[in-house]
This record gives sequence, C-alpha cells and structure tokens, in this order.
Amino acid sequence: MRSGSATPPGPGRQPRDDEPLVLVTTTDSGQRITALNRAAGALGFLPGMALADARAIHPALRVAHADLQGDERALIRLALWCQCFSPFTRPDFPDGVSLDITGCAHLFGGEAALVDTLAKKLDGFGLTARLALAPTIGGAWALARHAPVEKLIVSRDTLHKHMMPLPVCALRLEQNTVEAMEKLGLKHVGDLIGRPRAPLAARFGPFALRRLDEALGHEEESFRPLNPPLLHAAHCRFAEPIVTEEAIEIAIQRLACDLCVKLEKAGKGARRVELRLFRVDGWFEALPLATSTATRDAGHLAQLLGERLERITDRAGFGFEAASLTALTVETLTMRQEDLGEDLRAIRVGDLAPLLDRLVNRFGAQNVTRAAPHESFLPERASHSIPVLNGAGEHDWQAHLQHIQDGASFARPLFLFSVPELVTTLAGVPDGPPTRFEWRRVMHRVIRAEGPERIAPEWWRAPFGASRKTRDYFRIEDDTGRRFWLFRDGLYERDEEAPRWFLHGVFA
Amino acid sequence: MKQAVEVKPVQETFPPGAGPVQHTSGERAATTPPEKMGSVLEALRSRIAPQERFASAPRPSLSLGPEALDGALPGHGLKTGALHEVLPAGHGDFTAGIGFGVCLLARLLRQRPGPVLLVVPAHLSSNAGALYPPGLAALGFDPNRLIQVEARKPIDVLWALEEGLSHAPLAAVAGLLPDQARAYDFAASRRLGLRAARHGVTALLMRGRQTCAENTAAETRWSVSTLPSHKFYPGQAGPGAPHWRLQLLKCRQGLSRRLSQHWDVEWDHETLSFRLPAPLADPAPDHAFWQRDTSRTWAAAS
Repeated sequence: MRSGSATPPGPGRQPRDDEPLVLVTTTDSGQRITALNRAAGALGFLPGMALADARAIHPALRVAHADLQGDERALIRLALWCQCFSPFTRPDFPDGVSLDITGCAHLFGGEAALVDTLAKKLDGFGLTARLALAPTIGGAWALARHAPVEKLIVSRDTLHKHMMPLPVCALRLEQNTVEAMEKLGLKHVGDLIGRPRAPLAARFGPFALRRLDEALGHEEESFRPLNPPLLHAAHCRFAEPIVTEEAIEIAIQRLACDLCVKLEKAGKGARRVELRLFRVDGWFEALPLATSTATRDAGHLAQLLGERLERITDRAGFGFEAASLTALTVETLTMRQEDLGEDLRAIRVGDLAPLLDRLVNRFGAQNVTRAAPHESFLPERASHSIPVLNGAGEHDWQAHLQHIQDGASFARPLFLFSVPELVTTLAGVPDGPPTRFEWRRVMHRVIRAEGPERIAPEWWRAPFGASRKTRDYFRIEDDTGRRFWLFRDGLYERDEEAPRWFLHGVFA
Repeated sequence: MKQAVEVKPVQETFPPGAGPVQHTSGERAATTPPEKMGSVLEALRSRIAPQERFASAPRPSLSLGPEALDGALPGHGLKTGALHEVLPAGHGDFTAGIGFGVCLLARLLRQRPGPVLLVVPAHLSSNAGALYPPGLAALGFDPNRLIQVEARKPIDVLWALEEGLSHAPLAAVAGLLPDQARAYDFAASRRLGLRAARHGVTALLMRGRQTCAENTAAETRWSVSTLPSHKFYPGQAGPGAPHWRLQLLKCRQGLSRRLSQHWDVEWDHETLSFRLPAPLADPAPDHAFWQRDTSRTWAAAS
C-alpha cells in the first residue's frame, strides 16, 4: 500500500514548479504531508495534513517520501558552508541555520550587505530562504520563521516591536505548551509581555518564561557552534572565484603567512592544519595536513599544501570564492634565534622535520616509519614499525637483541617474510634440519645448518596469535652459499600429523 | 625574405702556459710529448674548476677495511657525497647485494652523524620479504638511525632519494630499485650524483639484476655474489659471517685493470669492517669436527 502510493521523482525527471508535489512521512495516524511545493500550497495543502485528504482534493498529486536524514545532512552541509561568513554556525534542525555574525558584518560591508550577499547566494543555490538578523538568538529564530517579510534586520531598539505580533509558537516552545497558551487566548508574543510572571510560570513552567526572556534579550543565551571555536586561523576572500592551481597557490602563500604571524604572536607552532576552499556552489574542499614537529614556517606549510593541490583543483567546480587555513592542533614553540652569521644557508644539524613532512605528505604517514623493538620472542612481533609522526625515541636495540637471540651473532635474517612460506623438505632425522628443501620451485641442498632455536608460542595471546605451535628454527646454508631461516611448525611426537616446514627469512 | 646569420668568431686570450683550447686532429695530439700533456691537462682542469656549478668540496672517503680493497679505489676508499650502485651478480644474490649495501651504510654511520633514509618499493615486502630491523642490527646497523619510506613506484623512490639528498642532516640515503626500473637512467643518476655532491650526503642505490640502464653516472658500481661460508671457527657452528664475492664493475677515475679483479670478503659485524678471509682455510666443512660436536649442529657434507 505504502510503496504503491509513492512516486518518487526519478533521477532523470526534475520536479516542475507548476505540478503539485508533496513529501510525506508515515506516522501513527497514517501518511502525513511534511513538505510541499508552491503549486501544492496554492491548492490549499498544509504540512501536517493527511495524505488521504490531499489525494481526495487533488487525485493527480505527486507524492514522494521525505528523506529526513538526507535533510539533516544537507542542513549540516549548508551550515558548514556558511562558515565563510562567520566561524560560528550551526544547523537548527529541522529547517534552519544560525550564524553568530558578531564582529563579522563589517567584512562584508555592513549587516545589510551581508544579508543581501547571503540571500543572493542561497537564491543561486535554488533555496528559498527567509533571513532575519536580530540581536538575540531567539529573536532571530522567531523572525526568520514568522516575520511577514523574507528579509529582516532588527536592531535592539526595534526588537520588542517586531516580536509583539508574532505567534507564541515563535518562542521555541514545546507543542503542548503552545496549545495550552492558545486555549487560554494567549495567541501572540505581545500577549505574554507585561503579564504577571508568577502565574505564567506556575501554569506553563519556568522554561516558557526563560524562552521569552531569551528572545527579548533579558537573559543571555549561549551559542554552541557546529565546530568548537578555532583559535588560530587565517581567512581570505577573492574578488573573483579562482580555479587555477597557480591562483590557489598564491592564496595559500598569503594564508600561510597570516597564520604563521598569528602563531608566532601566540608562541605556538602547528602540528595539524586544515586548508578549506569554499566553492561558489555551496560546498567546500578540505585539505588536512599533519607535520612531524610543530612549525610556523610559512614557506614550508605553503610548499606542503601546494604539493597536494592537484586533487583539489579537479574538484574546483565553478571556482573557489574564499579560503581559510586553520591550525587544528598547536604546540608551544619557543622563539628561535634567526641566523645572524654570514652563513645564512647553513643547515642546522638535526633539523629533519621539513624532509619528514615532505615524505609523509607524499607517501602517507603509514609509509614513513622508524623501527621500534617489542618485547617478544616471536620474530614477527619482535619489532614494530611506527610512523615518524608519532615521535621517536632512542631504543636499546643491543639489549633487545641480546635478549631475544641470547648473544648469538647473525641469528636474525635481513629479510623476514610477514607470512612464512611453506617449503617441502626432506629431513634426515626427525628433530634435525632438513637435508634438502624446495622453495619457490627451486631445490636447495643443505650444506650447513645450525639449530634448533626453539621459540615457544605465546600462549597468553593464543586466541589471537596465528601460531600456537612450538617452532624450531634452523639457520641453513645451501650449496651456493645462500642462507635461509627455516622453522618446523610443531614437534613430531606431540602432534598426530607430521609438522610442516616454513621459510621465514633470508640472510644476507 | 632573406635572413642572414652572421657568425662572429670569439677571440679568447689564454693564460700563459695553458695554451689555446682547440680541437686538435689526431696526429697533432699524438705529437704532443706526454710530460707536456700532463701539465696542459692540469692547467685546463684548474681553469674549469671554478666554472663547475657545484665545485665539489673535498669529502672524506670511506675506507672499507682491507688494504687490497681500498687500494683499488681512487681516494683510498669509497667517495662520500657521491652516488654508488650495488648490483646482485646472479638471480639468487639479491639479499647479498642488499646485505653488502647495509654493511656499507653501517660503516658510513660510524663516520657521520644523522640517520639513514632508506627508500624501498612497496611491493618488496610481498616478494622478497620486509627488511627486518633485528637482522639489520645483527649486521651492525643501528635500527635507531633508520627512517624507512615505502614508495609505490620507482619514480617515487627516485623522488624520495632526491629529497633526502638535499638534507645535510642525513648520514646517507639508500634506495632499492626493482628489477625493471625504467625511470632510472643516466639523467636520473646524474641528478642524484649532483645533489649528493652538493650536500655531501652519500647515496647508495641497490638495484635489481635485469636493469636496463648500464650507462649511469654512478661513482662506483659493485657486483655482489654469495659465497659459501668460508670456514668454521670452533664454538661457532653452522653458517658463519656473511661471505661475498665483490667485483668492481665501474669506478670513475679508477684504474681500469682493477675492474676485472674480484675480492672475497667477509663482514665483521663487531668491528664494522670487511676482512679478507685467511687464504689457507679450506672451504669444505671438516667432517671430523662435525662428528665430534653433534649436540648443537647437523651437517650434511657435500
């Protein structure tokens, strides 16, 4: 029944404005309309109406299911895009976005110009938006939804006057509170203003009065933006949208200089930065970057970002109109004396960070590694590789080797296979090394062998470890002088089937 | 429409003793007496030296240990701040080539502070296994001083090497190239060599066997093949120290007669030097020795 009634617009068929279209959701009392287009509104439909009633009025009505999650995602996306107007934005589910433009308006030529710019952009995206700018969050919320005009700028003095005629549902109250007020004849915000507060609070709870005070500016309300406030950031806007890589590079250099000046004033260095390029069509491209040490070298940052630009320019679309560079993670970085001597180009010994950053930037953090010993006798676990970005310390490899191989020299191979390779062997005696073995289709005759070096399984991690058998390792040299590290997986007397042989490493 | 191209001969003055530089015909060159030729060459070299773009400062050379080896090299050792290549001699000598390279790096690390940048192709670990830090440490290479980079393509390996060579804090830069690396040609090797010379960082390239480019600008090219363990020391059973046959395939400014020569060397991981094993020792295993000491070792005599 439900699926048969819905005719979602196909991908190739754009809904037309003159054709009534409604979006429905399924509730306890059947399918109800949640959104409609202008043509459907002209027929007298309203959100909340039952679909059956609407069908009765207009049988040719087009119906589609509402995608509520998709709406939420789109709203978050829009709120993020709005960050090119103000760093503090948030989505107001289900149908709005709030911006805290304190201190931002002058960048766009005043409040009116900002609202105009925003309206023009949203119109360009194909969104019908109602904008309101008010001194309080509650006031802006109410006026954007219930004001008689689509664009409204309200100052502190006129806020009271504009709020008076609005319905009480403009106060962000719960549905039953609104209904209770309307039953008592309190239909407008103006009806609440000036009334004795105690009876109102007793009847509708303190929350309703608090909402009223917040909307009118008698009480402070905190704004919780989508992202936590960012301390170190540089922004720039472009007169014309930019597309080319060269233009973006110039912008990045400017941003990097700005950011590094800010960081230097704060005595910080950036470990993680993010470049955001805001597209004209309502989305942004982000380019995160991590560095191995805290840095505020503008040239270095610009170079690292510039190396990865090609991925971005493919997705420029109609161009980028604004950009921001934000230091997401900062560390304290003390001032360093610039070179005063004549040899300005002398490279400071130990200053590897720029090289590591470039390598990580190109190959990825997982592919630039240092080695660290690990307390384990199992060869595959005896050493870890850790990304250079995770910091490095000096490890005592000599002690580690002494521990795992008991002082024997050349006891570990130069190359180790992460997965030991199965070999077929011919062994002289059950516990001895093989006399010949075949590896990768080549038969090797064993000339010299040393072992066994018995390595027991780590029973405490038996459920996770691949091997649960005792291994006997042999160092083996074949007739051409090549050396291999073979092991027998298991013991002869303990297991029913004959243990298999594996090749685990190759010596130099 | 006619265009006239006028070639204006350039008159140059030469310092006394240097003589004019001209393209001499073969017979005229032959008439120049050899002792005069030497002085002319010296004068020409001294004229060119200041015009060289990267006048290479004298760098210390890396002694390999045995006198026989060092004597074959022009600076009585491997030139640091230059590009060197290591090739496996045969199909099964891949690890021997890498091992020799690692030993050279270990020796170099003793001489120069800073870490080593080692660039390996990403498919190496699936094919030949991954370089194993305890195994590096067993050869005397301190894994603390290793920075390993995995690059996808040979061209990325070369890029990373060039980047590394521009950073003097590194002790050395080493790269592994797969068998068929077309990206590595004369131009690429020349770039690496120039960068190495400018910053004094030694570059070591461990190449695969079937490489296309034989004509490269490397300072030296070594070929390494595996040899059976030379001899047994009492108390050390089984395979002994790494034992290789080295051959110098190329050596700039070297003596050509050295090129056909080869050396059988062992690596001493404690003194970090190569040594020529005693020539008297019999490479065949001693049967009587094996029969006496059967508690730890097994051997099948050939």
